[in-house]
Amino acid sequence: MDSQKSIYVILLALSTIAILACLVIDLEAWIVYAVAIFGIPLWIMSLGLLTMARPKPEDAEERVKEPFTGY
Amino acid sequence: MNLMADILINVIIAFLAGSLLLGLHRKIMARVQKRPGPPIVQHLIHSLKFFFKETAIPKTVSKVFYIGIVFILALVWIVGVIAGPVAHDSLLILFGVYAVYKIVEHNSGSSSGSPYGKLSCVRAVLSAASELPLFVAIVFVYMVTGTMNIGEIITYQSVHGPLVFSIPLAALMFFMLIITKSPYSPFAITKDKVLISGFETEHFGFLRGFMLFSESVAWYVMLWVFLTIFFGPLTAVGYLIGMIVITFITGFINATTPILSPNHSVMTQITIGAICFFGTIIMIFTGVVA
Repeated sequence: MDSQKSIYVILLALSTIAILACLVIDLEAWIVYAVAIFGIPLWIMSLGLLTMARPKPEDAEERVKEPFTGY
Repeated sequence: MNLMADILINVIIAFLAGSLLLGLHRKIMARVQKRPGPPIVQHLIHSLKFFFKETAIPKTVSKVFYIGIVFILALVWIVGVIAGPVAHDSLLILFGVYAVYKIVEHNSGSSSGSPYGKLSCVRAVLSAASELPLFVAIVFVYMVTGTMNIGEIITYQSVHGPLVFSIPLAALMFFMLIITKSPYSPFAITKDKVLISGFETEHFGFLRGFMLFSESVAWYVMLWVFLTIFFGPLTAVGYLIGMIVITFITGFINATTPILSPNHSVMTQITIGAICFFGTIIMIFTGVVA
């Protein structure tokens, strides 16, 4: 596993733990709001960074050099 | 109910309902134009599908900004869900959410390094100048009800009846904002087809899926706010019917109206906004509004 993937896994784990903690423990409202506002987008983003397909090594350079492709 | 559970349920409902409504919007547009159109679930499937698509970050982008702006887009609309359906808090927070959303449109285009994105970024400034004044409809809600708190506005309407009957021009102003926010709108100058997908052009793969998630939540929040502050206390069925009806109306308008050029779009919005603004002021000060 490369270092980037490790960071994404850590971010996913941290956001999951924070959200679960708010579900299980009765915390103050402002803490729950802060976790929801930052934790939910972070959870989705880290999940997406892990699930997204990566270009093949031989195609990688071509993908980033082609700047205006759209999707 | 646990507060986090309440937030999570509302975010999931906003995403699923928003996605299906946007799918319905596309279907209605297609049927009006005598095309079969994609299935209603297509928008939802697209959002999920993009999470597994190949994603590369072009060399021309500002990397942190390019990814961060997508994160902020989701963040602002989750604040919208919390301030609206969850906490029934102040309308001013939702005004702030919309203002930041326009900034995100601007910065998303500028982060990409693409000429299409950059042109869309310039147009985002133009459109913000005409869309944010339309949100000023909430000032009239305050003048009539004496509060900006959504919970208190609902209580006011349960006693005095829906605000759409007392300040219809303010409701029309807000409805203009909803038309502007709807896909393929005549006022959607930031996503004009001459700009490919506008500020979203260079966000592909999972980043596009993340943006589609935020847009679905945004559509749900906008419809929820409109129905709540102008149509009084509604049941879940009332919200569902209201959202479907608004989606039908916007779909029909967008299918039959070509996209306007930026100057025409801004001038039309400002003209309608000004008529509704001064019309409502006259109604309030001549005693038409109790």
